[in-house]
Amino acid sequence: MQASHLFDIRETFNRQQILICFNGPFSRSIIEELGNAVRSYMESQSIAKTAILDVFSVFVEQTQNVRNYLADKAASGTGASDLDSGTVVIARTDDRYVVTCGNVIEAGDAAGLVHRLDALAGLDKAGLRALYKEQMRKPRSETGDSAGLGLIDMARKASAPLEYSVQPLDDRFAFFSLRVAV
Amino acid sequence: MNVELDPMQDLAISPTGTTPAIHFSARTGVLEIRGESYPENAFAFFEPPITWLRRFMSETDTAIRFDVEVAYMNTSSIRAMVDMLDLLEQAHLFGRDVAVRWLYDEENERALDMGEEFKEDLTLPFEIVTLSSQE
Repeated sequence: MQASHLFDIRETFNRQQILICFNGPFSRSIIEELGNAVRSYMESQSIAKTAILDVFSVFVEQTQNVRNYLADKAASGTGASDLDSGTVVIARTDDRYVVTCGNVIEAGDAAGLVHRLDALAGLDKAGLRALYKEQMRKPRSETGDSAGLGLIDMARKASAPLEYSVQPLDDRFAFFSLRVAV
Repeated sequence: MNVELDPMQDLAISPTGTTPAIHFSARTGVLEIRGESYPENAFAFFEPPITWLRRFMSETDTAIRFDVEVAYMNTSSIRAMVDMLDLLEQAHLFGRDVAVRWLYDEENERALDMGEEFKEDLTLPFEIVTLSSQE
């Protein structure tokens, strides 16, 4: 990358009011530090505690979903070179914070994800609450270690429906991203 | 084979950046969880306290006071907490003296919501206590 390109990146970040952006290997320590940094920053801006926790919790659920997915893929040994990385952005829009997170997935995993997200999009707050409580009571033998609550929880905290995108990369892989406005 | 179990020890787990402090007293039956809980693998983190609780309930009749002061939990910690509260609910239904106190900072509405959502699925005594931020 040329030195002047950094300026272009900076301009893009500023225009989009990006507080923090990380793209690269999703190590646990990096994710934790990013979360702490955003939280400290928001606390210094005297933002309401509830709003800070909502942004922080969406960040945690988003990044842990990605890390769990990448760990599953690493364990099954089907990994492509990009299957250890992710991208996460926290940005401001007018009066909201937006946490967008994405990663490379296997093309075959897209349909299930899209199906779950479309089902959530059709629910109002009461419907999401009911689904959350139902999922919370499911035995772990059915849900596995991920508990299956993360997406529902984010949809409950979001101030607008979750937006996702799946961009095919080739016949095996796609880039999945999920945008949550709090 | 005749295996003799050790007498019950207290369970003490120090807090980390993503996990709460835990102290369970075998003598008093006071179980405390304080801090924040958002480890990646919450089930692994909560396994020792759940195992401890199962054993405590099977080996003693001591009344249980469960104090939870957790400002934030990720969803997998919430799911592990459900397992723990279900154990206590069972004990309560079998006639044991069990009570939960959910403590939250008055400015932290989300912690109140969490407590209320746990409480509504249970019949055991479950008190929600507001802590003043001015302390």
